[in-house]
Amino acid sequence: MRNFTQRIFAPAVLLLTLIQGSCTPGSCFEETNAFVKATFYNYATSVKASPDSLSMWGCGRDTSLIYKKSRINPALIPLDASTGQCCLVLRINGVNDTVSFTYTTTVHMISKECGYTFYHTIDDPVFTKNTIDTITVTKTSITTFSEENIRIYY
Amino acid sequence: MRKISVYIISLLLASTISAYGQEEAQPVPDSVDVDLRIRAGLEVAGPVIYFTDRNSMNLEGFAALDINEKISAYAGGGYSDFLYSQYNYEFTTKGPFFKAGADFNFLRPEMAEGKYWAGAGVRYGLSLFTFETTSFSHDNYWGRVSSALPAKTNWAHYLEVAGGFRAELFNNFSIGWLISVRKMIYTGADKAYRPVYYPGYGSSTGTLSFGISYYLSWSIPYKKIRVQIKPEPVEEEEDEEAEPGTSTDFSNIGRQGLGR
Repeated sequence: MRNFTQRIFAPAVLLLTLIQGSCTPGSCFEETNAFVKATFYNYATSVKASPDSLSMWGCGRDTSLIYKKSRINPALIPLDASTGQCCLVLRINGVNDTVSFTYTTTVHMISKECGYTFYHTIDDPVFTKNTIDTITVTKTSITTFSEENIRIYY
Repeated sequence: MRKISVYIISLLLASTISAYGQEEAQPVPDSVDVDLRIRAGLEVAGPVIYFTDRNSMNLEGFAALDINEKISAYAGGGYSDFLYSQYNYEFTTKGPFFKAGADFNFLRPEMAEGKYWAGAGVRYGLSLFTFETTSFSHDNYWGRVSSALPAKTNWAHYLEVAGGFRAELFNNFSIGWLISVRKMIYTGADKAYRPVYYPGYGSSTGTLSFGISYYLSWSIPYKKIRVQIKPEPVEEEEDEEAEPGTSTDFSNIGRQGLGR
């Protein structure tokens, strides 16, 4: 039984060391931004159609581009969590349109490692119709999940 | 010289026989006296960790009452104060917690001697916690948004299964450790704003929470009981040399179909 007493020390010390090590902050491997996921469609055929070129920036912030890419579908549109609305310029195949979103914002915890982000609930967007024909909302909840939120027919 | 040698040999033989006779004379006990105890203990790993990590304080103690030589009633409680800082937020949670359940000693009474314990415990845990996100920030195209979330108080309910060892170091004073697995039943907190740590339970990451506790405990006997010792089962020697089909035991013939 003396061995019994002695042997209960060693595992305890080892496990304490392991626990101490496990308390260090972990890394975040999850999506931390809740984007509006916008899928582009050809308005004539209602078939998915990636624009040949797409540029995107915030209204009045044309020197700070969100996108300048070709053949991108879906596009990820960031919303401004500090206000309840924001306006973006979408240049689709060289033609500019503005899209304005109004929304409510809530704080959401992703995980212990990734911390907090903002989720939104959007209303129907207001947009110009230079090249865009219609925008339909398929899911009003803007989260970090990979799911379509709006369809842009152009 | 020869007489001396004979005398020494005689003495040795006599002592050996005497010793053998003493061993033989000891009757195998059919029962053993066991002290039932009231026990109180403190968890010491928490304070030790606090000296190396000031962000995590856990104070915990327990009281236990032996119901019989195998089962003890357990009641414990403590207080946790936890601070967690990640790159974009800082979180605190603190509050008391309470546990109640039973411990089961797997050692045989004659082996445990009232001093040793190797077994498992099952507990129901209750955590009353106040948590707060004192600051967080989020960056995207539009810039950085910094904010904080107000303090909230909730109850959490969980189950705990713990296994480990305890041994008496000296009179009535024991040490031991337990490895615990905990399962949250109900957090009471909103999924969008929930604690990353619950007092008494641990980290909220994952479906289970694991922990180790290292206890110092003091006990006093309050009752002595006599426990019958079950005789060791005598293993019957099997005739390993006998090959299948060559057994000469015909006693089972004719009984094989009876169980159907």
